[in-house]
Amino acid sequence: MNVSGPKIYYTIPILGGIPITETIVNMWILMAVIVGICLFLTRGLKERPVKKRQVVAELIVSKLYGLVEDTMGERNTGYAPFIGTLMTISAVGSLSSLVGMRPITADLSVTLAWGLVIFLIVQTVSIKTTGILAYLKSFFQPVALLFPLNIISTISTPVSMAFRHFGNIASGLVISKLVYSALASLSAAVLSFIPNDFISSIPIFQVGIPAVLSIYFDLFSSGLQAYIFCMLSMVYIANANEP
Amino acid sequence: MEEFLSFVTIDVWEIIFTWINLLILFLLMKKILFKPVKAILDKREKDVGSLYSDAEKASAEADRLRSEYSEKLSSAKEEADEIVRSATRKAQLTEEEILRDAHGKADRIIERAEENIELEKQNAINEVKSEISDMAVTLASAIIKKEVSEDEHREMIDNFIDSVDNGKEQAEGRKKS
Repeated sequence: MNVSGPKIYYTIPILGGIPITETIVNMWILMAVIVGICLFLTRGLKERPVKKRQVVAELIVSKLYGLVEDTMGERNTGYAPFIGTLMTISAVGSLSSLVGMRPITADLSVTLAWGLVIFLIVQTVSIKTTGILAYLKSFFQPVALLFPLNIISTISTPVSMAFRHFGNIASGLVISKLVYSALASLSAAVLSFIPNDFISSIPIFQVGIPAVLSIYFDLFSSGLQAYIFCMLSMVYIANANEP
Repeated sequence: MEEFLSFVTIDVWEIIFTWINLLILFLLMKKILFKPVKAILDKREKDVGSLYSDAEKASAEADRLRSEYSEKLSSAKEEADEIVRSATRKAQLTEEEILRDAHGKADRIIERAEENIELEKQNAINEVKSEISDMAVTLASAIIKKEVSEDEHREMIDNFIDSVDNGKEQAEGRKKS
């Protein structure tokens, strides 16, 4: 059994080789799906909704704005589209394992990229809110001695976010793979008394049993991690521009 | 030969791709989903707000009109009562007047009728008196076959009739005897 990173489909032979990996391709597919769903949901919007899909779209958007307003305050509702995008791609990216795709969030580069975006936003907002001097000064608070610790805590924010998300989904991936191969071995052992090679090679225990695990690792964990990631992002940004 | 990235790795190109993808997805979702739906939600909220204020205004107006109408109604009722009352009073007065007039007229008519009757009666009596006196003169001259001075007789007869008038019983008694 082999647990590997994302497959490299193709390497663009410039700048020392740009790898087009499974993660990137899956991301494009998911983006297309998400945009398609958005297009479908928002087709023929009317002020008095006549279609169910508009109600769904309104529900999603209003819930999102409500969540952002509750968490970040009314001054930050402008972040709602960004947070919504992040939550969508994160949740969909993890849930894609349900249809047999490699989840894009089981790739550290992806979650780290998102974490860095949040980090940049938080630092920019912080500088904008307090001014560059106060921002720099905040690293020496409450005493100058704590400067290294402050730097570490600042930098650890995106790192911890990225690793948390990556770790949860990737561990789910690994455990799923382990369970699958274990069940395959079990099936083989149990069915070995059947003299037919084809029949004894059917991994019957792989039917049903992994679904129970999948409920946790794919459904629950995917939603939860997307929610946690976005919640943390909102809290950090809101803290940075607290009046 | 299939190539794989290692399981835990940080690939700069993947990070860059992820950033670009996130930006693209963000712009697309914002344009397609968030902006239009939010615009509709806001517009509806505004509309609902104005609807509510309109409804409140209308209801206040209705309340005002209702109180005004009930006030008007009660005053109209009072007025109607007043009209009926005054009309009744007037009618009563008129009735009394008419009755009084009628009584007076009737009284006058009866009075006149009585006067007429009295007059007629007097006339009749006078006529009878003169006829009787004529008859008596003729009778008396026939009976006594004697020329009597007409003036003396007439005076005598008139006295007789007067006594008849004054005392009918005496006259009747005298007639019998």
